[in-house]
Amino acid sequence: MPKLYKFLSVFRTGAVNAASGSAYAEFGNTKVIVSVFGPRESKKAMMYSDIGRLNCNVSFTTFATPIRGQGSDHKEYCAMLHKALEGAIILETFPKTTVDVFALVLESSGSNSISECVAGDLPVVISCASLALADAGIMMYDIVASVSVSCFNKNLVIDPILEEEIGQDGSLMITCMPSRYEITQLTVTGEWSTTKINEGMQLCLDACAKLAKIMRSCLKEVASDSQE
Amino acid sequence: MGLPNVSEDLSSEMEVDAFRRLFPLRYFERHLAESIRPDGRPLGKARETSIFLGAVASANGSALVKIGSTTILTAIKMEVMTPSLESPDEGCLAIDFHMPPICSPIVRPGRPAEASPVVSKQLSDTFSSSKMIDLKELSLVSGKAAWMAYLNAAFIMQDIYCLDADGALFDAALLSAVASLSHLQIPVVAMNDDGKIVLVSEEDGQKREQEPVNKEKRKLTLRSIPFSLTCILHKNYILADPTAEEESIMETHVTVVLDTSGQLISLYKPGGPVLAYTSAIQDCAALTRQRVKELKSFLDKANSAMEVE
Repeated sequence: MPKLYKFLSVFRTGAVNAASGSAYAEFGNTKVIVSVFGPRESKKAMMYSDIGRLNCNVSFTTFATPIRGQGSDHKEYCAMLHKALEGAIILETFPKTTVDVFALVLESSGSNSISECVAGDLPVVISCASLALADAGIMMYDIVASVSVSCFNKNLVIDPILEEEIGQDGSLMITCMPSRYEITQLTVTGEWSTTKINEGMQLCLDACAKLAKIMRSCLKEVASDSQE
Repeated sequence: MGLPNVSEDLSSEMEVDAFRRLFPLRYFERHLAESIRPDGRPLGKARETSIFLGAVASANGSALVKIGSTTILTAIKMEVMTPSLESPDEGCLAIDFHMPPICSPIVRPGRPAEASPVVSKQLSDTFSSSKMIDLKELSLVSGKAAWMAYLNAAFIMQDIYCLDADGALFDAALLSAVASLSHLQIPVVAMNDDGKIVLVSEEDGQKREQEPVNKEKRKLTLRSIPFSLTCILHKNYILADPTAEEESIMETHVTVVLDTSGQLISLYKPGGPVLAYTSAIQDCAALTRQRVKELKSFLDKANSAMEVE
């Protein structure tokens, strides 16, 4: 049996007033703020484009990792965040312009080695970013939720923490749009048997659906508050 | 009945908003003439301020400060360093003010904001001239030890992050830096046989042969705490604690830094089209004096709330 979901999650929208939309997410030890700016003018050097552009950046505070300044620059995080969101956003709704999605990891729970980056903070960053996009009123096909699992011998662990990540045999991360049952990003590393991977994927998809429910209720709460 | 009214309200609202965007200066002056600001504050009043200590669990000291919607998070990490030859009995305090791209639409990744090195420098100048911290207190193994390698001092690394930029960044950053220093818990360290400084963990502290070198001193002594207030000068008006919008429209700023006993630590007036008379500067100082009292009580309250826990 897989371990219990570590769904000690906090989601809040409207964390940053200066941004068009923003969200704060707390998942275990991981704490993330995402700001969305735009749609705004694309960089001057950009070519004309019929559809909108998405620009993503992920940065870490110097105190995010146990050793100061370890997790400063992660280009692969930026690229993966971009790929995970791109498929969900209706880019046709903001032609010629750019939407900027900037994430700051305040505290990190997972390890930061490149091969294991999928398991730690990235799912939180992705889910938080999709909430911030919704807060900014950017049109999306569905909310994007992301969950990772690690595999040890015969056990599957959802949302692994650092100690668990170090000893893992393999990791799997799914980013999906739960109401459409479509996957935008799937990352598999390490050693998996076919049965395990099926089990792992099903586990992730179920968890994503639950996560999306929590995120949706967070958005609804804000909307009903502002109406009153 | 309801519908036409709603659309009418909306259209008049739109006009005000458009006026604000098109003629920002006139929009502000119309308010100032009535002695009120667009957010409903009187001219000399600062925004609502809150201090939350211990926001970052992994740090030795931390504070989250909000002034209006300006949000600043500070975390302190202490390290051991070898002091410099010129001052072998002193530790060191390093301050870094970061403006990550999440905080403001002006900041883009890869291009650091202009304001961040300026605020960093202002903060370290303020701390060094206010003599708030006695750097000698950070010395772990004093100069009595015969070998240079035995000399060790604590190094305070203060990282200040702006999470939401809405004006008066220096004031909020200073408050956050001061609050995090007041929250700082100095970790207990001991010297091992090689003369290296090692952390003593709380659990097995009893059984160690190593004698902790700083058992008693777990808190820094803050001698005089600096607080600041930034004001905008515009014509004859003085606006305390400006928002980002106000800062962008009216460009003359005066920042006064006072300590708790009311002594002047520093005064910045970085240019601007308005030339300040002595009376205007004195008015700014008077506003700051009031603000210092207010901020001091906020900080005391936050600290006593921590002690209760």
